[in-house]
Amino acid sequence: MRKTLLALAAAIGLLFATTPAANAYEPVNIVHTERVQVGPYGMTVGFSTWPLRAMQSLDFTFIPDDGIAGKSGTLAFVNPETGRLGRPQPLAKHPRKLEVWGLDIRALQIEGSWTFRFEIDGPAGKGAGELRDLAVLEQPGPPMAVSWSISLIPLIVLAVLITIAWRRTKARLRGNGLPATV
Amino acid sequence: MDLTAGGARVASVARSERTGLIPAGTVLAGSVISLVGLTWDIQWHGDVGPDTFFTMPHLFLYSGSAISGLASLVVVLMTTAARRAGLPIDARVGGRAINVFGKVFAAPAGYLVTGTGAAMFLLYGLWDQWWHGLYGFDAVIDSPPHIGLLLSITLSIIGTVMVFAAAREHRWGSVGVVGSLGVLIAFSTVTVLGLEQIDVDGLDVVSVGIALLSVLLVSAGGGFWGRPGGAIRVAAALAVIQAITWWFSPWAAEAYASAVGLPMRDYIDGVPAMPSMMPMALLPIAAVLEVVYLLSRRGWSAGRVSVPAGGIGGLLVGASMPIQNSIVYESSLDWSIVVMTAGAGAVFGLLGGFAGWRFGGMLRLLAPAKGDNAHA
Repeated sequence: MRKTLLALAAAIGLLFATTPAANAYEPVNIVHTERVQVGPYGMTVGFSTWPLRAMQSLDFTFIPDDGIAGKSGTLAFVNPETGRLGRPQPLAKHPRKLEVWGLDIRALQIEGSWTFRFEIDGPAGKGAGELRDLAVLEQPGPPMAVSWSISLIPLIVLAVLITIAWRRTKARLRGNGLPATV
Repeated sequence: MDLTAGGARVASVARSERTGLIPAGTVLAGSVISLVGLTWDIQWHGDVGPDTFFTMPHLFLYSGSAISGLASLVVVLMTTAARRAGLPIDARVGGRAINVFGKVFAAPAGYLVTGTGAAMFLLYGLWDQWWHGLYGFDAVIDSPPHIGLLLSITLSIIGTVMVFAAAREHRWGSVGVVGSLGVLIAFSTVTVLGLEQIDVDGLDVVSVGIALLSVLLVSAGGGFWGRPGGAIRVAAALAVIQAITWWFSPWAAEAYASAVGLPMRDYIDGVPAMPSMMPMALLPIAAVLEVVYLLSRRGWSAGRVSVPAGGIGGLLVGASMPIQNSIVYESSLDWSIVVMTAGAGAVFGLLGGFAGWRFGGMLRLLAPAKGDNAHA
């Protein structure tokens, strides 16, 4: 018993000792870049994986040539399926690379040709520009219909359970929905 | 867990009051710990961001299910051992025992459901790990593995409701049903985000889902309680959960970010994400339901009165959710969506009222009839 407890304590100790390594947040890598001209501002758009695939998340970085200091801006996506421009969102610092703007672990959900529309306001005035024809390839992994079917198994278990309970209690519940036995 | 008869009469009463309280309290504690983990995790992704598998909110989510699952396993093993030893089995502990794998295990109904949910949670957790390996750690709540995880927890909490219902002759049993139904509504508001996959123009499908489930569970409280006050008690339990998590979620996200040295995101809106999905108007709406239930005093069947009551409840929850979202997020309000969502909410509310009241009756039947506490 004592040996078991010691072994358990050692296992828990090891778990905590190794947690910091697992807990460390990964740095933001840039393996591919594109250039975009946003009015008077040149900007580099960085991608942590390349090529892009639908649903696969990555870090995006948006790096104006002379830094983000004194500037603000927005980003909106043109969805390749609908062709509609989404609601602009403010360009925010990347949580793991605070010196640049970015999107952390973000996925583009559908394949096709995406457009990023930027607007930047800064010392040289306001400007707008687009990164066009950003190719997002087919989604990896099994078809979504299969994945959704697997996810609904607990709901099927629940439906079976309710059906059985419903039928078994039918005779014991009076018309007012209260048990006849109590 | 007390499976044996007590000695002297006074001692017996004192012991029987606590019979089953510890395992029931443990599975409820597991559900609450998962709830804390979920609201914390959602807030973390919105306000701070970076994700790995090894975060404190994930630890809460997973340990909550593990606690519920292990407690259920212990009860099932003890019940099985008691049956093999020829001892009487107390149906107030989780309900009537059900044979599993032939007659290998004797599992009280409530603990069987809780344990099954917890086991499925573990399997979906493994699938979720694989999913994140393939797709990365994008914080999408409505991914298939996440919905599988949430549905598994839902199953566990339904088992928890059953466990308390089986002990309804004790005050803690009835109070536990109300509390765990409140926890279930809170969880459901996130699970229904899976409905975002269904795109209907001009309709807030997620709010229709919230209308159905909140009316269903509040009606179940009404049907279970068997006298006025059940529905409003369940809504009050949700209000308490909403008030506590409203304060807790942003605080916990910020405190944890500061503890691990991460900055808050730019431009966060400060809205407690998960609590703001819970229907804020449910308490007054449940009061309306209670008033409608009074019609049963005029000789109408309570189960039938619950159907129109559910319709009214669904209409009001359906109308209130888009308005609530607009107020909380200071966004514009499209009144045509309010009308459409209220209409669909009313239709699904009828179903919620009908099924919910019946579920309440079914929960009452889980408890042994008076003078019949031992079921094999």
